[in-house]
Amino acid sequence: MLKIFRPFLDTFVSIKLTVVLIAFSIILVFAATLDQVNLGIWGIQQKWFRTFFVYQDFRGILVPIFPGGYTIGGLLLINLIAAHIRRFKLELKKLGLLLTHFGLIILLVGELLSGIWQEDFYLRLDQGETKNYAESHLHNELAIIDTTDANFDQVVAIPEALLARRGSIQHPKLPFLVTTKAYYPNASLFMREPGGPPSLATTGIGLRAVAAPRPITYKQNENNLPAAYIEFTGSETPPGIFLVSTALGSSQSFQYGGRTWSISLRPQRLYKPFSLTLLKFSHDRYAGTEIPKNFSSRLRLNTTDDQNGREVLVYMNNPLRHAGLTFYQAGFENNDRTTVLQVVRNPSWLLPYVACSLISLGLLGQFGIHLFAFIAKRRRTTAAFAT
Amino acid sequence: MRRLSPQLPCCLLLILSALLGACRDPVVTTYRTAKEASTETTPPVLAAAAAPATSGTDAAMANTAVATATGAGLTWTAPAHWVAKPASAMRKATFTLTGHDGTTADLAITAFPGDVGGELANLNRWRGQLSLPPITDAEVVSAITRYEYNSLGIAVVDLAGPDANPPTRMLGAIVPVGSATWFFKLTGPDALVAAEKPAFLAFLQTVKAP
Repeated sequence: MLKIFRPFLDTFVSIKLTVVLIAFSIILVFAATLDQVNLGIWGIQQKWFRTFFVYQDFRGILVPIFPGGYTIGGLLLINLIAAHIRRFKLELKKLGLLLTHFGLIILLVGELLSGIWQEDFYLRLDQGETKNYAESHLHNELAIIDTTDANFDQVVAIPEALLARRGSIQHPKLPFLVTTKAYYPNASLFMREPGGPPSLATTGIGLRAVAAPRPITYKQNENNLPAAYIEFTGSETPPGIFLVSTALGSSQSFQYGGRTWSISLRPQRLYKPFSLTLLKFSHDRYAGTEIPKNFSSRLRLNTTDDQNGREVLVYMNNPLRHAGLTFYQAGFENNDRTTVLQVVRNPSWLLPYVACSLISLGLLGQFGIHLFAFIAKRRRTTAAFAT
Repeated sequence: MRRLSPQLPCCLLLILSALLGACRDPVVTTYRTAKEASTETTPPVLAAAAAPATSGTDAAMANTAVATATGAGLTWTAPAHWVAKPASAMRKATFTLTGHDGTTADLAITAFPGDVGGELANLNRWRGQLSLPPITDAEVVSAITRYEYNSLGIAVVDLAGPDANPPTRMLGAIVPVGSATWFFKLTGPDALVAAEKPAFLAFLQTVKAP
């Protein structure tokens, strides 16, 4: 059986494959860098790197035009591991090379794990405000909240990606069927003009406003404002079709099944069993100038096992690490009254450091071994000439 | 030729399964949270960028996605009697101004990439919000008062909507900053906005680029 696959497997250990893959990697990075002008940093990561194939839209048809980062990185990883398994020999003079390649393997695996596990969120806090959740700046969710109870809210969050499929969702926590009648990944909202075209919505703000689709933006300094028409139907009198959008200032409410419900399309939230309070945001400038010197946020970290909380200071290059999350000082708004913290969850964050250390150690070792061997050889030659 | 190690297919399977693991499917989540003030039954409103518009073109430009959140912003010093409200995704800042008779006016500060259609389009969008007819390019010169404070060129307009009850007035300032445009829009009852105009103009003098 193995004989059938031998030519196929021989290809995987080939150095030619390594060279071709490295050449593909260079082209991939170069093309993605150029494409960053059109798509921005997040867009190119999804289009070029965190994908098996790079697709191009030709008149509405997606055509794969180049292997993506997962394909090239995955094949490089297989190639590297396969070559080592076949050619592995434990020799002292190749120890540096082994370490370097092991570091490369960790680097490739680390990037793969980051792609799978890493999550980025933002936490906006006004002075004195406390929050126990961060918000995504890439993904949104339809939050359907049962607000009947006086003390707590029961939330059902439907990711935007599910709304985009335009299907129906019957969730056990909801007494009604949720159907996406229309979905726009980026849309502008307009007030309906008298005599204007009818709105899809039958209730709520959608009676007064309409959503007009816009092209998706990938620019770093712009956000997409998705909108959708969502229908709620059940055995009772149906509440009807609502217009929801992240551009709406607040949620919409309705009664159903003797309970009060609130709906809104909002940035996806990451709730945590602890909260942060912004005590003070500082924007220090060099004396006598307007040149920024330092941005820092003095926060109180409130946890369930520490009633009083503890104060922490987050500033540039000094993030707060807590409960598997890292909080970086990312920006400020509202005339220095609001701090913006980037919240990153990446269980594999240490791997690139380990990989780079191993590669450095391996290269130093390998070149060191060669250097000492060269010096020793030269000494022997000099001694031979001297005698 | 040497025999291929049997570990190789196992490694391939492991790596392939890891790669396939990258394709995550979105799932509905449910959880219980403490009550939040913002989810109360406040009537939904269109955010600042989605304000009523007179024409689709102008509105489309006005509704271009919000920007400059990550870039350097403007700074300012507001009069002590203006009450700052929490920032939102759409607004850089919001102030509420309260008159002696209890009436309130709203100052919205927003920023968008590019020139958002230019001065004429934005001026006509604001005029539309007060039910005023649009003006032409030739009339813009007389409608705008120009100032230059702290190396920033500021175009200020003063619009009155006499048809509204009570009469509404709007003071707007357009400030191009780099590749973005900032808007300062004070809207409220005519009497209150007129009384606050000196404070608004003094406030504009404190606006600074970083």
